Amino acid sequence: MAGPVLELRNLHKELPRKDSEPFKIFQNLNLSLRDGEFVSIVGPSGCGKTTMLRVINGLMPLSSGEIFIDGKSAKELDHQLVMGFVFQGASLLPWRTSLKNVLLGLEGSGKSAGEAEQTARKYLDLVGLSGFESNYPHELSGGMQQRVNLARALAVDPRILLMDEPFAALDAQTRNFMQLELLRIWRETKKSVIFVTHMIAEAILLSDRVIVFSHRPGTIRSEFKVPLDRPRHMEMRADPRFLELENIIWKQIEEEVNSSGGFANQ
Amino acid sequence: MNENRNLTPTLLRVGSVITGLLLWHYIANLVINDTAILVSPVVVVTKAYEMLVTTGELYPHLFASSQIFFWGFVLAILVGVPLGFVMALSPLVRDYVNPWMTTLYTAPRIAFAPVLLLWFGIGAGSKIAIVFLGCVFPILINSYYGMRVVNREYVELARSFRLNRWALFGKILLPASIPFILSGIRLAIGRGLTGVAIAEWFGASEGLGYLVFFAGQTLNVPILFVGVAAFALLGIIGFELVRRFEAFVTPWRKA
Repeated sequence: MAGPVLELRNLHKELPRKDSEPFKIFQNLNLSLRDGEFVSIVGPSGCGKTTMLRVINGLMPLSSGEIFIDGKSAKELDHQLVMGFVFQGASLLPWRTSLKNVLLGLEGSGKSAGEAEQTARKYLDLVGLSGFESNYPHELSGGMQQRVNLARALAVDPRILLMDEPFAALDAQTRNFMQLELLRIWRETKKSVIFVTHMIAEAILLSDRVIVFSHRPGTIRSEFKVPLDRPRHMEMRADPRFLELENIIWKQIEEEVNSSGGFANQ
Repeated sequence: MNENRNLTPTLLRVGSVITGLLLWHYIANLVINDTAILVSPVVVVTKAYEMLVTTGELYPHLFASSQIFFWGFVLAILVGVPLGFVMALSPLVRDYVNPWMTTLYTAPRIAFAPVLLLWFGIGAGSKIAIVFLGCVFPILINSYYGMRVVNREYVELARSFRLNRWALFGKILLPASIPFILSGIRLAIGRGLTGVAIAEWFGASEGLGYLVFFAGQTLNVPILFVGVAAFALLGIIGFELVRRFEAFVTPWRKA
C-alpha cells in the first residue's frame, strides 16, 4: 500500500511573548492522512486546530516538527500548489465574478487562458453553479459563496484539501445541504481532506476518522474511526452508532473544557 | 412604493434647486435690492449668456482655468497614487517621507503661493504647482490608506495560492484600493479648484480666479457670480466624470 499523502511529525507551534514563557498553541502533533481519506478535527475552541491548518498550508511558520507530502518535505514543495485551502469566510474577491474567482489560482499555473477557463467552468459546474459564472459575490447567497470557495480550492487540483469550518456561518438547513454536497464532490474528486469543525455531528457525518484535540496547547487526545457505511446520508444521524460516537466525543470535549478552567476561560 | 422611492430623491433635488433659486431671486430683489451687493440669478444667467454667446469673453478664462486645473490634477494623480502605494508597502519610505508630507499637508497652501510664484514665475508653472499641492495629498493619503487596509483574508488567499509579489499587487492590493483612490480623487477636485482660484489671484491676467478677483475689486457683482458659478460648474463636471469612471472600473460595487 502506498504511503500517506500527508504526514505530520511532532509539529509544535508557539508564539514568543515579552517577559514570559512562549505561548504554546499546539505540541507533539503526529498525524497521517491516507490517499482519499476524509479526516475531521474537533476540539474545544482555542485549541489550535485552525492554527494547525494554517501551519500545514504554509500561511504560518512552524516552531518545530516536519510536514511530509507524499513522502517529500513540505519545505521543498513550498512553491507548488499541493494544497487547496477552503477559508471559513468565503473570502471571495468582490471585484471578481464567480468564474474569475475560481480562475485566481489557475492564472499563474502555466495553463493557457482558454484551458484555465475551461477548468474553472468545470469546477463551477461540479459545485452546482453553472449559470452563475458572471455573478459577483454580493449577488450570491452564503451557501453559493462557499461553493465558489470550494470550487476555487479544487480548481488547482490539489493533493490535499484543507477546510477551515467552511459551513460555520451558514444557517442549519443550508449547512446540512452543503455537507451532503461536499460528500458528493469528495466522492467525485477523490481528494484527501482535513476538515476542521466545532460541530461533532458534522465531523462524524463527513469523515472516515474523527480526531479530538485537547485544550491548549492542543495535541491529539484521541481518534475514532467512524463506523458508518458510505455513501452517508442524513438519516444516519439517528443511527445508534452515530449517537454513541457523538456522545463519547462530546464527553471528551467537555472534559477538556473543564480541565482548562471551564467555559469562562474560553 | 418602489416608484415613490425613486421619485422622492429626484423631486427633492429638483425642488431644492428651484426653491433655492427662487429664494435667492426674492432676497436679491425684495430684501437687499442693491445690485452692488447681490443680484438675482436671472441677472447672473443673463450676464453668463452675454459672456458666452454675445461677447464670448468667458471662454479664455474658462480655458485657462481648466488647463491649469487639468495639469495640476493629472500630475497629482501621477505622483500621489504611486507614492501612496510605495509608502504603504515600505515602512522605510513611509517614515522617511512622513515628516515632509505632514508639514506640507498641514501648512496653509495660500502661504506657499508667493513662494511658488517666486520659483516658477507668473506663468502656468506656478499655478499648476499650487493646484498640484492642493490635489496631491488627498490622493496620496487615500492611496496609502487603501492599500494598508486591504482585507487580511485576501492577502492570505493570495499566499495560499502561492501568488508572487507582482500578482499579489496586481490581483489583490490594487483592485482592493481603487475605491479609496477614487475618493481621494473626488476630494482632490474641490481642493484643486480652490488651488486654481488662489493661483489666479496672484499675478494672473486671465482665468476664472482672475475674473472673480477683478470683479470683486471693481464691484461688478454679475461677473463675480458668473465666475463663481463657472467654478461650481467645473466641480460638478469633475465629480460626474469621476462617478462615471468609477462605475466603469468598479462594476462590482453596484449593490
